[in-house]
Amino acid sequence: MATTTPSRRGVPDRTSKVRSGAGAGSSPGRKRGPKLRRDRLSVQNGPGWLFSTPFLVLFLTFMAVPIVATFVMSFTDFGLRNVADPFSTEFIGLENYTKLVDDERFLTSLFNTSYFVIVGVPLTVGAGLFAAVLLNRGVGRLRTFFRVGFYAPVVTSIVAVAVVWRFVLDPADGLISNLASEVGLSSPDFLGSKALAMPSLIVMAAWRNLGTAMVLFLAGLQGIPAEVREAARLDGAGVWQEFRRITVPLLRPTMLYVSVMTTIGFLNVFEEPFVMTEGGPDNATLTVSLDMYHEGFRFFHMGYASAMAYVLFTVILAVTLLQLRLLKDKTK
Amino acid sequence: MQPIPRIAAATAATTALALLLSACGSGGGEQTSAKDKQTLTVWGMGEEGKHLAKLGKEFNKKHPNITVKVTPVGWDVVHQKLVSAVAAGELPDMAQMGSTMLGEFIELDALDTVDQKTFKKDDYFPAAWNGGVKDGEAYGVPWYVDTRALYYRTDLAEKAGVDKPPATWKDQMDLAEAYKDKAKTKWGTYNQPANIGTWQTWVPFLFSAGGELLDSSGKPALDSPESVKALEEYAAYFDQGLSRKSSPPDYDVVKDFGSGDAPMFISGPWIVNNIKDQQPQLKGKYATAPLPAGESSTSWVGGASLVTFKDSEHKAAAKEFTKYLTSTEQQAHWYEIAKSLPAKEAAWDEPALKNAPEQLDAFEKQLKTAKTVPPLAKWEEFSAKIDEGVARVSQKGESPKKAAAWMQKATEGLVG
Repeated sequence: MATTTPSRRGVPDRTSKVRSGAGAGSSPGRKRGPKLRRDRLSVQNGPGWLFSTPFLVLFLTFMAVPIVATFVMSFTDFGLRNVADPFSTEFIGLENYTKLVDDERFLTSLFNTSYFVIVGVPLTVGAGLFAAVLLNRGVGRLRTFFRVGFYAPVVTSIVAVAVVWRFVLDPADGLISNLASEVGLSSPDFLGSKALAMPSLIVMAAWRNLGTAMVLFLAGLQGIPAEVREAARLDGAGVWQEFRRITVPLLRPTMLYVSVMTTIGFLNVFEEPFVMTEGGPDNATLTVSLDMYHEGFRFFHMGYASAMAYVLFTVILAVTLLQLRLLKDKTK
Repeated sequence: MQPIPRIAAATAATTALALLLSACGSGGGEQTSAKDKQTLTVWGMGEEGKHLAKLGKEFNKKHPNITVKVTPVGWDVVHQKLVSAVAAGELPDMAQMGSTMLGEFIELDALDTVDQKTFKKDDYFPAAWNGGVKDGEAYGVPWYVDTRALYYRTDLAEKAGVDKPPATWKDQMDLAEAYKDKAKTKWGTYNQPANIGTWQTWVPFLFSAGGELLDSSGKPALDSPESVKALEEYAAYFDQGLSRKSSPPDYDVVKDFGSGDAPMFISGPWIVNNIKDQQPQLKGKYATAPLPAGESSTSWVGGASLVTFKDSEHKAAAKEFTKYLTSTEQQAHWYEIAKSLPAKEAAWDEPALKNAPEQLDAFEKQLKTAKTVPPLAKWEEFSAKIDEGVARVSQKGESPKKAAAWMQKATEGLVG
């Protein structure tokens, strides 16, 4: 922006071409006009900036500032007493991060989060794909009904979901335990058992999120040309072969998007354990986000919680990059 | 799942902004005299906060120049709101503050000291008063108190062949067993096994075993032999299947008390009212008793105090309002409105308290000997370690000795 000086105004030159090409919203055709080297903040760009202002303001205030602030905070000992006296905060270098390595609770929470992701993501994506394939063919008139049925949990408040699931899972008068006692069996205390609490949450999360996966897969399935399927069928492919050799490879881009988004969501898992178990029993459902919330907002160890957030961020970044690489679209 | 980090980020941003702002606006400012026309802002908490507005209006009739504006804040969010308000320099003039939160706000240097000539220590239950004292200075005037005592089902006890309240730990254990074996209840009692607030049920065991939270030098005393003994006693109920080993986060024991599944538990005086509202059929079928004794029968004192914030410009008016709320007459009146127990001992002789349900007698008795939870800046964290220590015994199956040692180690850095 500083390169535009009054003396050079109106004189087309190379630098300006390069510059305006990089700027937002300028089209190559207008480069030769007299308004050539206008600044990105000039009148012509005004409407563009105007339209992006609401986003920019919100993004800067609620995303960019906190992102930078938490990063800086993760190298400090920011705690309760700094709330009233922020200037006494001290930089402690990497101490928060080194402390995390020895933090038994944090390691447990990392393990639990991995468990949740490794079992939960394939389950959700698989169930979503299965539902989408079924809905794409067959079911006929009931299609809309099923779509709504699978998608409803996605838009339902977690608190409502939790209340319903608690009722389903309750060991004393829950749905499952009543059904079990009808046939003479006894059902375990799902959320109260160390071994079963996490699987219960995973099943609930899969049920709750498969709707999103399903909708995306449905869109992807509709993008697969009918001719390809027809050709496969003419060549004698059965249902399974068609699915395995045609549907899945052609769904790869959708698959990539769905698994990346689901994984990110699942790595951040917070609400389910927060509402259903408080991380118990015996920390069996304590996840990184929940641990972070306790450290940050219950005990006001803001520095320490920020360090946790950045560890989680790094994990998410690494996992996402890995997925992008593994699920690259090989048809192109 | 996605929105949470954003909320967290937003909160962090707000805190950061608040911090910037607070740097500009500090200092007490000028004091307004109690005679001037003014508005006094007060934060009340939970149910009490809602009732407090009524008292504010009544106060206004007597002091027409002081308008009291009460903002009720939920117990679940009040801690965060207060800390944010400290950061932003936007505290009200006065607040009702839960006894265990005092330590933290004394540490934050947010509270004004109490004028001990106007408010006399001896008028209040000693444990309640001491909960707001640090280094000889008092920071809160006790407003109402609560303590923990034992609730048990008399009808089921009769069925189980027990006709008097349990007086010792052994009696309590026998009663739990009798409930389960003879009265065929699902559990014998309810000891909270884990999660937030477990300490509230365990600390009575600790105090009754003769233990302390802090020793005389101010260090945690959670690995003392008494503490181990309290954990052992507490754990015995889980080991013998007399109490459930896990309960959902918002478990309501009153429901199971009503159905008879959990015929005994330890809790505070507000339960008397809850039972009346939610389980009216229990009338005459249950009783309260002082805590069964280990070495002694000792509970802890909770409740709330009235605090004035340092930055307030209406300290004189705040003092008037505090004086009004803690007068003997108003303390009894408060019991009638909110069913909270008066912190002032004299108020217990008022007719309203004399006619109180007999279930409250146990609490009055318990209050005389109840001990203070010391005001700790990091009580929230300290108590969370106790919660986890108890969970280690109840859910992880660790030995009480090991769990006690763990609690000691985990809390060492949190005091002093």
